Amino acid sequence: MICGALVMGTACSDFLDINESPNLPTSVTPDVLLPAGLAGSAFANNNELNRFGSIITSVTAGANNSPATYDIYTIDGANFNNQWRFEIFNGSLITYKSMIEAAEEINSPTYAGIGKIMTAYTFSIATDYWGDIPYSQALLGDENTSPELDTQEQIYLGGDGVQSLFDLVREGIADLQAQSAVTPGQDDVVYGGNAESWIKAGNALILKFANTISRVAPDRARQEIESVLQNGNFIASNDENMSFSFGSSVGSRSPIYEYTYVTAFSNDMMISTRFKDLLEGKNDPRLPLYVTRPTGEYVTIDNGFRGSLPTPTSSWSRFSSYVVGENGEGPVRFLTNAQIQFILAESALLLGTPGDPEEHFQNGVRASMALAGVSSANIDAYFENNADEVSLNGSEEENWEKIMTQKYIANYGNGVEQWNDYRRTGFPVLEDHQNAVGIDGTRPVRAQYINEEIARNTNFEVILPTEPVWWDID
Amino acid sequence: MKKVLLGFFCVLLAASGVWAQSQTVSGRVTSADEPEGIPGVSVSVKGTTVGTVTDLDGGYTVTIPENASVLVFSFVGFRTQEVPVGNRSEIDVVLEADVRILTEVVVTAQNIERNEKSLGYNVQSVKGDVISQRSEPNILNTLQGRVAGVNIGSSSGSPGASTNINIRGNTSFTGSNQPLLVVDGIIMSNDTDNTQNTLFGSQPANRLGDIAPEMIESINILKGPAASVLYGSRASSGALIITTKSGRGLQDKTEITVTSSFNVQDPINYAPLQNNYGQGTTNEYVSTTAASWGPRFGTPGFETVTNTQGQQVPYQVYPDHFDIFFNQGRLWQNGVTLASGNQDDNYIIGINTTNQEGIVPNTGFDRYNVQLGGNKKLNNGVLIGGNITYAKTKQRNGTAGNGGSAMGQITRIPRSYDFGGTQWQDELGAPIYYNPPSTHPFWSTENEIFDSNVDRAFGNFTVGYDFADWLNVTYRVTGDTYTDRRKQTLRIGAARNVQGQISEDMIFRSEVNGDLLITMRKDDLFNSGINANLLLGQNINQRDFQRINVTGDQLNIFGFDNVSNAAVFTNSFETRNRRRLIGHYAQLNLDYNDYLFLELSGRVDQSSTLPAGNNAYFYPSAAVSFVPTDWLDYQSSVLSQVKLKANVARVGRDATPYLLASLFGQAAYGNNLAQINFPLSIGGANIPGFFPQGRIGSLDLAPEFVDNFEVGMVLGLFDYRVELDVTLYNMVSTSQIFDVAISPSTGFDNRTTNIGRMVNRGIESTLRALVVDGNEFSWDATLNFTMIRNEVTEIAPGVENSTIPGNSFLGIAPSIAVGHPYGVVISTAFPRNDNGDLLINPATGGFAPGVPGQVVSNPQPDFIAGLANTFRYKNFSLDVLLDAQVGGELYSFGQVDLRSQGHIDYTGVERHMPRILPGVIANGDGTYRPNNIQIPAQTYFAGLGGLASEGAVFDASVYRVREMALNYSLPATLLGNTPFGSASIGFSARNLLFFAPGFPADPEVNTQGAGNIQGMDLSGPPQVRNYGVNLRFTL
Repeated sequence: MICGALVMGTACSDFLDINESPNLPTSVTPDVLLPAGLAGSAFANNNELNRFGSIITSVTAGANNSPATYDIYTIDGANFNNQWRFEIFNGSLITYKSMIEAAEEINSPTYAGIGKIMTAYTFSIATDYWGDIPYSQALLGDENTSPELDTQEQIYLGGDGVQSLFDLVREGIADLQAQSAVTPGQDDVVYGGNAESWIKAGNALILKFANTISRVAPDRARQEIESVLQNGNFIASNDENMSFSFGSSVGSRSPIYEYTYVTAFSNDMMISTRFKDLLEGKNDPRLPLYVTRPTGEYVTIDNGFRGSLPTPTSSWSRFSSYVVGENGEGPVRFLTNAQIQFILAESALLLGTPGDPEEHFQNGVRASMALAGVSSANIDAYFENNADEVSLNGSEEENWEKIMTQKYIANYGNGVEQWNDYRRTGFPVLEDHQNAVGIDGTRPVRAQYINEEIARNTNFEVILPTEPVWWDID
Repeated sequence: MKKVLLGFFCVLLAASGVWAQSQTVSGRVTSADEPEGIPGVSVSVKGTTVGTVTDLDGGYTVTIPENASVLVFSFVGFRTQEVPVGNRSEIDVVLEADVRILTEVVVTAQNIERNEKSLGYNVQSVKGDVISQRSEPNILNTLQGRVAGVNIGSSSGSPGASTNINIRGNTSFTGSNQPLLVVDGIIMSNDTDNTQNTLFGSQPANRLGDIAPEMIESINILKGPAASVLYGSRASSGALIITTKSGRGLQDKTEITVTSSFNVQDPINYAPLQNNYGQGTTNEYVSTTAASWGPRFGTPGFETVTNTQGQQVPYQVYPDHFDIFFNQGRLWQNGVTLASGNQDDNYIIGINTTNQEGIVPNTGFDRYNVQLGGNKKLNNGVLIGGNITYAKTKQRNGTAGNGGSAMGQITRIPRSYDFGGTQWQDELGAPIYYNPPSTHPFWSTENEIFDSNVDRAFGNFTVGYDFADWLNVTYRVTGDTYTDRRKQTLRIGAARNVQGQISEDMIFRSEVNGDLLITMRKDDLFNSGINANLLLGQNINQRDFQRINVTGDQLNIFGFDNVSNAAVFTNSFETRNRRRLIGHYAQLNLDYNDYLFLELSGRVDQSSTLPAGNNAYFYPSAAVSFVPTDWLDYQSSVLSQVKLKANVARVGRDATPYLLASLFGQAAYGNNLAQINFPLSIGGANIPGFFPQGRIGSLDLAPEFVDNFEVGMVLGLFDYRVELDVTLYNMVSTSQIFDVAISPSTGFDNRTTNIGRMVNRGIESTLRALVVDGNEFSWDATLNFTMIRNEVTEIAPGVENSTIPGNSFLGIAPSIAVGHPYGVVISTAFPRNDNGDLLINPATGGFAPGVPGQVVSNPQPDFIAGLANTFRYKNFSLDVLLDAQVGGELYSFGQVDLRSQGHIDYTGVERHMPRILPGVIANGDGTYRPNNIQIPAQTYFAGLGGLASEGAVFDASVYRVREMALNYSLPATLLGNTPFGSASIGFSARNLLFFAPGFPADPEVNTQGAGNIQGMDLSGPPQVRNYGVNLRFTL
């Protein structure tokens, strides 16, 4: 008061100098950014993109709300805006960028290395769903408020001043090999701060990226895979899986648990009759471990079914604890040993990379069954009694289909990878859903750019979900 | 302090020269009607601040400084008289009655009383007697229809539900557009503190609701920047200047006033429903659907059906679920006031209570006010005054909103669901319902509870002194502080939080103002006939806000409503805001011969919320009033008086705190599908997480400005029996502080900057007429007309629209959009051809796929009008207030539910008949043919639009009998031998009748409450009709 009444001048600038927020910090350290970024990537993989991917590949069937719409192939620019915005660009990616900058300030390249590998992984989710996206000009804040899009080809292969996803991962691996002043501990929810595990994950990620482009750029794919195989340092056991475990209490649980069992939208989706039939047809021991049977029977619906839903909803077959965890922990499996083995099988078969396709294929099936909780004795018994299912004894095309079908089963709970593989290879063979609508009655092959980008950035234009992405050549 | 000021002003005093010799004059003031004398007449010495008021017998004595020579006698309802004193020591005056409004005294900014004639801007006054005892506990609601240029809308009939008020439209993209609230000089919070997610939370009260209508003497509404410029940034949306009752006018009498009223509230006019078809879809019974598209009642084989719980239940209509659910609300209001004194020495003590039981079960509103105030002129001439009010307000409300709430479910009750007879909770409290995890509305009202508990104190203290007859210095300190302790309980089983949640909120808000006011007056400045007033002021302001929230999730014991019952607390947080402002202002009033008036004002504000070193901003205003009839001394029986007015003004507005820097926040992901909040609890470890906030700060933020130009005219006609006041204005808002949405691939969602332009053009008009003016019967009527054309003309380069901050559903975004009025809703529109015909999809017979991102709804009305009538016959008076909103649209979930689910009456008519949607089918060659595709009733009514579509938009036009109040005052002859000074009994009713041609219920609802988002009915409580009886007597 006195300040104002008597002394106008310098004292008053102190009186008014109170505009620093007591609520939110202006800078933070890498250890609180890392878990926030990782959780964002886990959400991107596990939340709505996953719900869509599982439905469109006939693993689950939509009963109500958005899932029922996805089930008849309908998506548009109103879908996945939360994913693009709050999980990918404004969530995990910008957080990794802040973390990499903060890590450089305190000379802690371990954080930067993890950040780069996860940035590459998260960008790959975005480009695999949406095709061309802002990449080299993205995440610059008000330095560039209308980023231009890089083509998916540039993002994967690099060139024209664009760093490829492969090189980004390699840069991350190099960071992880450097001395770090501060290293992560339990803030690294994926590997508990183990840099060696991250290097293996980085190499595995290179295998996944190479596999993704293997049909459109086979030479580059072969070269990338061979260089990883040479040093042999990649995810090679289930213990080394790159996965994010959530918690078991409210506010800490995995999205797939929440939307399968908890929230008001938990009755939007159940397991598809088609997926159940597929596993039953193969006598697959994973079926009861994958899919719940609250009444002792599988209660499923066909994709696109528009009749009266089975009642009560508590009888529905849903994702089991293999996917959602005992109490919502998940985990969200970014990359698994089984997935890598199937990649190596497919590459050996089609690209001629080192290794025996059948051996990798069988390793993949065994790894998946073991992860699902099938005992090794039962796995052996399955292999004995269903030799044809686990042998690559047909034509190249038939063997390829077997690999991709088993990979599809192994990727249960990861609709993102199931949809990517299905678009890339056309396997497993999936029948059209009942009552399909979409644009022209065919399955979407890309996500449409969200309406917010169309409205806010003139570099975006509407590309309909019927237009395939670059690596999807047929 | 006093010594400092005395020292400071002694220089000025010396300059002013002479301490004058004085002369004493006394006399009596009478009128034709009151020959026994008029008490309370203001007697002032022209050109000075010296004055008094007449006593009970109309007598007065006043001491006149030597250099003054004219006495001015003024009193409401009489013409002001100026009488030269000469050498007389006794002057008797007979006042002439005057119905001229121009002579009314109104309260302007900084509580300065001014003659309306001299104002170059609009101030409209509403007297306390139309506010108190009107079946309505919220003061803002009582102003509906009574003020031109003002748009007031209550959000629902729920107890304590907030009311939105905008004066002359919205002037800020994202700042508060509510007017500044000033009560007895105290700048008070009228915040709604919408801590709830308004999409599925409760409706908290606006804090003006802490004031009892019975406390109010008058409300003066300052319209436009010129009127409110002295309040600075705060009042760029206008101001409500409320004066509470005092003992000032009681002529040394002591009076006790007792008021008491009882009202009931009925929920009104929920839509009529069909009684022929029950639960199901496509003519099949489905136990879990909210729809009534099932088989027709009486269909063989459907005598009984199996419900969701597996029980066999009759399949028949249960017609009255609305009646079973809603209660009749009750409202008791009681008050006692003790007041005494005169102009200089007075006091008042008042106690008021309000107790309300709402129409929704388990809701209510209780308010207790204690007011203490007084003024005293000390022997040394120092005037001191102050008052303090304590208010306690308790509100209990349920949850509202789409889906998981009582109000979200009440429109989703299948016609064959036995609403009243079905068990809705098991022995352990778990919900039982046809469609889990949704819950029965009774379960919701019983187990989803929002409590708000406000303790508030506000008051002022004033010290003033007349250093000379031309110089007064006053310092005023005001304070307003409250805590609102809130608790939201969602017991285990609640649809929105199945494992239960308890949220404890402590909201603290305080505001302190110190104002130095120096007023100077000089008559006959330079020239005879030019009188000048100069006001110099300084304002120091500090505002604090704090919110401490403890949220406990995952409850263990049903019905144990304590956070210790929770397992997870990661949603807890604290927020603090502090802002300060220093303002300096000056106002010069020049009055030339009482027919030409000029007012020049300017204010400089320095705000803590703007960048240091660049935080000061200046804004001026000029207003002129000219009364040519007085200039020409013209009068005729037709044209009694003409006043012309004009002003040009600018007001600046600062930012909210902490917008300058980009910040990090605690990480969280997801929405109502799935959600996590850091710190995460993973494997027994608590893992903190932060990430960049989606907003980029601005280091060079500048203030917003509103520029106003207005002209107007007041005509007094037919011996002042009719008065017409018309004002036109053009108000331009620029440099808006706004978070511009940016491409999300930048890593951010928006950036704070100064951009945009918005224009408000309007007409506000008041027509007052003394229609009948007999001795026994009189009728006066006031018509208020409000027409505002708001247009957002510019947002930012490349930005065509942007969502208004607040809670909104995806795909239903209240927005600003270039070329459209503020607050339009952007959603999915039905596609049309160039001719405007709706396009039909030839494959389905439904509308072609919707076009997202279109403006589908405009909540702003074309115009608003209110007609207030007062009829008096002997001791009876009857007030009838009619009002109308013409145009404006409402986005309604509830009505879409009732229609698309086959509940509303017209969906049950000839349901077996196929229907054809209105529209055309493209022939493919650019021509169109009328739609002829027949579709079943269910497809048809669903096709008319779901929640996120143009089909949810309804015309909100409404014409209503807003209020009727009949009052009977007992004649003085009856009271002669009683202790009563006066006594009256009244009957009043609010919202008695209405006609809404485009909406099947009362369209005056807004689920999101007071604030910038309007015109949304997202499954909130309905409106009510109030009626009851009231008593008032004085002792």
